[in-house]
Amino acid sequence: MMKGEEITMINSLDLPSLLPEFLPFWESVGRSRLSFPRCTECGEFHWYPMVRCPHCQSSAVEWSDVEPEGELYSYTKVCHPFGDKLKEKVPYFVALVTFAGAPGIRLVTNLVEVDEDKLRIGMPVKAVFSGADGENASIAFRPLVGS
Amino acid sequence: MSHHDPVCIVGIGETPPVRRSDKNLRQLVIDASIEAIADAGLSPSDIDGIVTDSVIMPNSVPHEYVAAQLGIDRTFDAALSYGGAGIVCAPMLAEMAIRAGRAKNVLCYFGVDWGSIPAGPYGFHDLYPAKTAYEKPFGFSGQPSYFALWARRYMHEYGLKEEDLAMIAVNQRKNALLTGRSQARSELTLEDYMNSRVISDPLRVPDCCLISDGAGAFVMTSAERAKDLRKPPVNVLGVGFAMETMTGDDIFTQKPDLMHIPGAAEAGRQACERSGISLDDVDFAEIYDCFTISCLMQIEDIGFCKKGEAADFLRSKGTTVDGGFPVNTHGGLLSYSYRLGVEHVVEAVRQLRGEAGANQVKNARIGLVGGLSMPDYGVAILGR
Ligand SMILES: [Zn+2]
Repeated sequence: MMKGEEITMINSLDLPSLLPEFLPFWESVGRSRLSFPRCTECGEFHWYPMVRCPHCQSSAVEWSDVEPEGELYSYTKVCHPFGDKLKEKVPYFVALVTFAGAPGIRLVTNLVEVDEDKLRIGMPVKAVFSGADGENASIAFRPLVGS
Repeated sequence: MSHHDPVCIVGIGETPPVRRSDKNLRQLVIDASIEAIADAGLSPSDIDGIVTDSVIMPNSVPHEYVAAQLGIDRTFDAALSYGGAGIVCAPMLAEMAIRAGRAKNVLCYFGVDWGSIPAGPYGFHDLYPAKTAYEKPFGFSGQPSYFALWARRYMHEYGLKEEDLAMIAVNQRKNALLTGRSQARSELTLEDYMNSRVISDPLRVPDCCLISDGAGAFVMTSAERAKDLRKPPVNVLGVGFAMETMTGDDIFTQKPDLMHIPGAAEAGRQACERSGISLDDVDFAEIYDCFTISCLMQIEDIGFCKKGEAADFLRSKGTTVDGGFPVNTHGGLLSYSYRLGVEHVVEAVRQLRGEAGANQVKNARIGLVGGLSMPDYGVAILGR
């Protein structure tokens, strides 16, 4: 994984407002890891986190680390600020990224270090983490070097 | 009533399409309801049932407020899904009540003030907790961005072009301008589309629905009672309701197949089966066009053409009111108003009565209305 330039989230995280089952993802990001909920009964991942596995209704759900490299499933350049706070942020890239190690999950994330003309669906991307813990934890993805 | 007699829509009402109204949402809903009841030739005291969506109206203009304001002493009261699927399926609940003898005359209403309230339609999605945790931090918060991801992927899988999306927006604008009262007032050419502002690429301003204040309403009763009323009845031939087992949080990004809306396919199948109508018999369609891309996908998923072929299908048929397959004959959510599809039901009734005016589809006998509120979908087939 990558600790490159400082990246910050487009909107700041408000951790206390989040449901408890949503926190482990951001705790992992604070440790520069990517993890998703996985059922130990049926072995399936699911996303977003639910209190029970939606595939078999088991409550034996654990968080499992996943290699933070994936594939670009789709993307958009957001040009319109949806809310006043985003006026200074546009334009920015939002992407859906899929992971070989977590079938069925598409992560909503941002793309950084982007050469717009070279973006293509299916290209490999790699996570960029920054910030240590809690509110400052952040994650984005950048095209994999050499691709 | 006989089992085979249809249940009918006998009255319609809507407030004028506008971005911001000087009336508040309660006033708008009451205006539309009074208009619909009067259009039927009934008085408010004749109404004994109320149906709306189950999320937006109960929290903004609840049933008991409308009942108290209009003097509706109700023996039936129901709500289903939310927004588009909710109001398109309202005839299903009204029909159940009328057939069961639980109500004689049912008022269905829906309205929004998203043109006036600060966060508009974007604020509505704050009710989904996972979006706060996993989408907002990345600046993924406006519905145009959700559908932009779909559009980009669709372009990749099926070779869709910007010109194809433009065709939908341009044709609907033509239909809208014929009404003489649409919220969008200016002409839209392909060139205008190509020069328009990008919202969340590849989607531009004309790909996105309007934002509006307003309400619509309709009144339903049995075929037998409809005979004595003011306007020719429009029959509810069949309604379908279906969905994917996903939450409103994850449906835009995690549905197993992002390019298909299975609820639309299943609701369409149910509506056809119940009505005995084949899609080939449909003279026009009012489709939930929150975005050009979602309108195009629903047309495929309902089954008018195969997946990936809607652009060619629509281009060859022609979707203006004088075309072979008129779609959104009033201009839809893109150009008429954005009241989440209640205007689609009202417009379909107008068309089937032959009351549409300059945007009338000739010999309109059967219309299909599709309502989307992810993950739910409703289809109503109406006829005369
Ligand atoms: Zn499981």
